[in-house]
Amino acid sequence: MAVSLGFHIIFASIGMAMPFLMALSHYRWIRTGKTVYLDLTKAWSRGVAIFFATGAVSGTALSFELGLLWPRFMEHAGPIIGMPFSWEGTAFFLEAIAIGLFLYGWKRLSPWVHWSVGLAVGVTGVLSGIFVVCANSWMNNPAGFEWFDGNALHIDPVRAMFNPGWKTQTLHMTLAAFEATGFAVGGIHALLLLRRPGSALHREAFKIALLIGSLAALLQPLSGDRLAKGTAIRQPVKLAAMEAHFHTERGASLLIGGIPDVAGKRVRYGIRIPYALSFLARGDLHAEVKGMEEFPESDWPPVLVVHAAFQVMVGAGSALAALALAFLFFSARMPRLLLHRRFLIAAALATPLGFVALEAGWTVTEVGRQPWIIYGIMRTRDALTPMPGLVYPFLVFTTVYVFLAAVVAWLMVRHIRAADKEFPSASASAPDRPGGLHA
Amino acid sequence: MPEIPAGGSAMLWVVILFLGLSLLLYCLLAGADFGAGILEIFMGRDHRRTQREIIDRALGPVWEANHMWLILMVVILFMGFPLVYSKVSTYLHLPLTAMLMGIIARGCSFTFRHYDAVKGRSQRLYTLFFIYSSVWTPFWLGVVTGALVPGGVGLSRAGYLEGYVWPWLRPFPLALGAFTVSLFAFLAAVYLIGESREKIIRERFARRAYLSSAAAMVSGGLVFWAAQKDGVDLAARFMGSPASLACVAGATLIMPLIWLGLAREWGWASRVLAGAQVTLILAAWFAVQFPTLVKMADGHDLTFFNAHAPEATLDQLGIALLAGSALVLPSLFFLFSVFKSEGAGSGEQ
Repeated sequence: MAVSLGFHIIFASIGMAMPFLMALSHYRWIRTGKTVYLDLTKAWSRGVAIFFATGAVSGTALSFELGLLWPRFMEHAGPIIGMPFSWEGTAFFLEAIAIGLFLYGWKRLSPWVHWSVGLAVGVTGVLSGIFVVCANSWMNNPAGFEWFDGNALHIDPVRAMFNPGWKTQTLHMTLAAFEATGFAVGGIHALLLLRRPGSALHREAFKIALLIGSLAALLQPLSGDRLAKGTAIRQPVKLAAMEAHFHTERGASLLIGGIPDVAGKRVRYGIRIPYALSFLARGDLHAEVKGMEEFPESDWPPVLVVHAAFQVMVGAGSALAALALAFLFFSARMPRLLLHRRFLIAAALATPLGFVALEAGWTVTEVGRQPWIIYGIMRTRDALTPMPGLVYPFLVFTTVYVFLAAVVAWLMVRHIRAADKEFPSASASAPDRPGGLHA
Repeated sequence: MPEIPAGGSAMLWVVILFLGLSLLLYCLLAGADFGAGILEIFMGRDHRRTQREIIDRALGPVWEANHMWLILMVVILFMGFPLVYSKVSTYLHLPLTAMLMGIIARGCSFTFRHYDAVKGRSQRLYTLFFIYSSVWTPFWLGVVTGALVPGGVGLSRAGYLEGYVWPWLRPFPLALGAFTVSLFAFLAAVYLIGESREKIIRERFARRAYLSSAAAMVSGGLVFWAAQKDGVDLAARFMGSPASLACVAGATLIMPLIWLGLAREWGWASRVLAGAQVTLILAAWFAVQFPTLVKMADGHDLTFFNAHAPEATLDQLGIALLAGSALVLPSLFFLFSVFKSEGAGSGEQ
């Protein structure tokens, strides 16, 4: 299950953000008539086609897999939290229609209608993502029902969907999708630019991708702060695990790095910044932050995993934010430095960082909720299917997803190589050719 | 037969309607997409390329949208009939997993075949995956659907085989799987005739339409025989209700009309007739099944009226479906009018 989700989250994020990159390039093509933008739009759209199809089928598999593995969870959760899924169904449907129109509509649709359906792919993709994350947020912040004796009564699907955490969590995930995709795409084009300095296609691609990635990267810490403050109130044990914060204290210090020793309830090594945790979690230097000790150990998530994942997320996110600041500063003041070798190398090295942060963040929220599948209501082990021999379907799904990930990566390499040959604007010193819409 | 309670919420009926509609459209649209892959198996060496291009062009813009009807069904079951969703996914875990593998393989191989930048040896592998998963997936879809009927679902305390294998590994579900495969192939053959301009290719597809309709009739007969074996008197149940009897009669009587249409090249009329036939078959099925969704081994069958979610949830689901279809249906109409209108030939990228 985790493997499927971890795989799907990458495809879904690319599916959310990539159409916007494409639409930006497409817009410039229609406006300026420079063929480099047309080439770029087409090159990107083929990548999107592969990612969308793989994401769509992996999403379908997931919608069944949730039931295959967690039938008891789905049975109770369905009436409560089905609502965002029903809307997600609509958004996903519209997305599939729009992508069909976009990919095959180059000659059938007028330029602006074509551009609009391309944008619609992105908008519906983001909406799908928001709906799904609403459901996940409900698992963290159950609302909209009363729980009596293992049964949900007085169900209110609207309150369940708009649970206390939905705004912060959907915002954080959406920004993460744009940040990860922007820097991954920008990084790949930076690498190609290093190989072929002067290529117009890769230069424009690099700028568009990093622009979107940078804006998201700078907004992300703000959304993360909101999310952490909400977690401090609603899931204090998760926050404590993120920080490996064992003992309740006032004026708690923020821990950077360190290896939690769960048995001894302490942390080895690591740097402490006094008062920072109280300030970040509560907005007050002297506020009390609850430690793990307040909760029975049977309700503890695996502290080491959650703490490490949180460190990785914040570390990668900070590196990207620094890169984003440099990018925006260079763009505004010193455009020459944008294409400087060193900056390109830095961007190329940052290619995986956004997705590393995204997977780490997802680990924080999912592992941090353990041992619960619905926080405080249902334990994960109670939701598991009674079918014996679960290891086999697990192995089958894992193998399939690992195999698919490898094939898609291989296809992308082939696609990038071929695009380099196919589009003149991708080669080293191509001038921007003028060309009409129907060139 | 379970009682149908009087009254009941209006939204429940909206939800039932959409569940039926999704299943129908999934069969009519996505079914034909699977069928196209099935037909590729029986493609002779000559004109193979042209036929493959036609299939590629016919499916490319629409298959993902067609596939969405399945997602909609899952969402309706999950939100509207959560008990059905959870029982089915527990006891039919294995055939569902098999179907999912097929869905993944089919969608990916079709897309990879089209979008792989290097059209080399890998194409053969994609095609291999595409055509065999096109048979595999609808077969398991039929098996899963069939397993809901004979009443073997839900023996969890029994052993592994009794609980998780015998409910679907029995004559009726397997026969329904075979029937689904041939029916989808038949739909695809009829639809594809209109996608081609060359007479020789059109004749190819027409011949395959005859053959697959014969296969559908044979496997249809097999379904009745298998039902008898499984203790379901299907024939008597079809005769039992006037609605289902009318649907079965209609579906049978359309057959000669379809053959005539194939011989005379009626084009769109043939497609409509084939679609109508499948609709009638599903309607007949719905009429005898209604209101049962899953026949359980312990006799506590799950029906539309005893397994649905609470009122507040059904209301939200109904609203989402109605509002969603106000958005989806016009978009879908636009999609099909752009790619499936008369004279819509090539024109991609």
